[in-house]
Amino acid sequence: MALRSLAGIGLRSPHVEEMLATRPAVGWLEIHAENYMGGGPAVRALERLRSDYPVSVHGVGLSLGSADGLDAGHLERLARLVERLEPALVSEHLSWSTAGGAYLNHLLPLPYTEEALATVTAHVARVQERLRRRILVENPSGYLRFEHSTQEEAHFLAALVRETGCGLLCDVNNIHVTCANLGGEPDEYLGALPADAIGEIHLAGHAINDADGRAILIDDHGSPVAEPVWRLYERALARFGARPTLVEWDTDVPPLPTLLGEAAQAARRLDAVAREEHDVHAA
Amino acid sequence: MSTLRELQHDVRDALLGSADATVRGVAADGVAPAARLAVYRHHVLTSLTAALEATFPVVVRLVDQRFFRYACDVYVRAAPPLGPCLFEYGATFPAFLAAFPPCRHLAYLPDVARLEWAMNVALHAEDAGVLTTETARVLPAGTLESARVALHPSVTLLASPWPVDALWRANQPGGDGVVDLDLGAVELQIWRRNDDVVFRALPRPAFAFRRALVDRGTLTTAAAAALGVEPGADLAALVREVLEDEVLLDCTR
Repeated sequence: MALRSLAGIGLRSPHVEEMLATRPAVGWLEIHAENYMGGGPAVRALERLRSDYPVSVHGVGLSLGSADGLDAGHLERLARLVERLEPALVSEHLSWSTAGGAYLNHLLPLPYTEEALATVTAHVARVQERLRRRILVENPSGYLRFEHSTQEEAHFLAALVRETGCGLLCDVNNIHVTCANLGGEPDEYLGALPADAIGEIHLAGHAINDADGRAILIDDHGSPVAEPVWRLYERALARFGARPTLVEWDTDVPPLPTLLGEAAQAARRLDAVAREEHDVHAA
Repeated sequence: MSTLRELQHDVRDALLGSADATVRGVAADGVAPAARLAVYRHHVLTSLTAALEATFPVVVRLVDQRFFRYACDVYVRAAPPLGPCLFEYGATFPAFLAAFPPCRHLAYLPDVARLEWAMNVALHAEDAGVLTTETARVLPAGTLESARVALHPSVTLLASPWPVDALWRANQPGGDGVVDLDLGAVELQIWRRNDDVVFRALPRPAFAFRRALVDRGTLTTAAAAALGVEPGADLAALVREVLEDEVLLDCTR
């Protein structure tokens, strides 16, 4: 099942009951894979929602960048979940979370080196082979960079696409956050991504904290999408065309209508792009 | 060891280490590398603490949130998760609390944590068919007595010298938190029934009967265990009740 270029929301547990009861109009739902790898009521609720909404499975725990290697058991659990849910999209992150047997519950940064590219390439290839489908890989939010990196993040992602045939999940908020924290031009970043590979866009809110006396943006998914991020999203749509777009909200989760309102704002922009594309074809 | 692997192990050690720990090769770019790593460390510790708070809400209430977060800070660094499913994180937290000197005077606390862990296990256990009164009735004569049966994966049997069921109930939102510890020992069964996590205290023979099935057993051996703690136990009632609770895995199909 392909996913149309509609706006979706990240499904969060406080909203599940209301979603089941009211079935609001929203294009699709995205779940975090790791929350559904057991049994019980949450899994059954998702099975019910799945009949009304296309679902995207977003992994946060595969640790594609781990030099220690992929956790084979976890990949099997992901494969079973994907077989069960038959999602429209499957995605993961350009990051690592596990080292020395410890899972650190964070999308940790990679140095952008040939060695890291070889590691991530091998892991993405293995995941795609096991799942028998293409996955999307998401750009992380960055708070540090390594001095021995030899490539820009966007070029690293483009190389990963060439090596593995994977798609990309372009998180526009993460681009904004990373460029603010580490230097870099968001538009250059967008320009370096292969447009054809973009299978999904993420939007979310961020916080502004203090680090060592300087402002640092934190990708906390705890507030509405910021104005500069909406502007960047519009430029991303202009460059990539309409793409399935997700609004994420994970901390201080608001009432469902607030989240749906954010998705509706994305939907308006998607509609505008779709109309333009239609006009171009009609002309 | 590869450069990348070495780097990742260094970052891991720094994130689980002290506030000023740093890693070679982190660019400063106007913010001290230690401050940049601290952004990641903060998320690691607070998100894992939040996961433990969600799993152990009664423990949070019993020790207050500040102390709980202090205990988590020590626990997370010593015992970070072994895998990415956070509903599986915290199995060793009760034993950690038992050995943690600042709360050793709260002797009942580890068993309250064990009860909450068992409830978490029950909530997320894999779905599996259960043997019911109806399905057992249609089995051929003699099948049930001699078949090896097991408890459903959602079931935990917990014996405690403390009235942890009363402690749990008194510390729900709106509860007064007052419990008479002289209520004494309990033997609890915690499980998931119709999507709800429930627990109840079992009489001693029923507890012994079910505990004999933890690592698979036959109803005959379970009956012997029940008779061991109470020679006059009503075996027919024990079988009837275990079927009514719907805690036996259906291994007959």
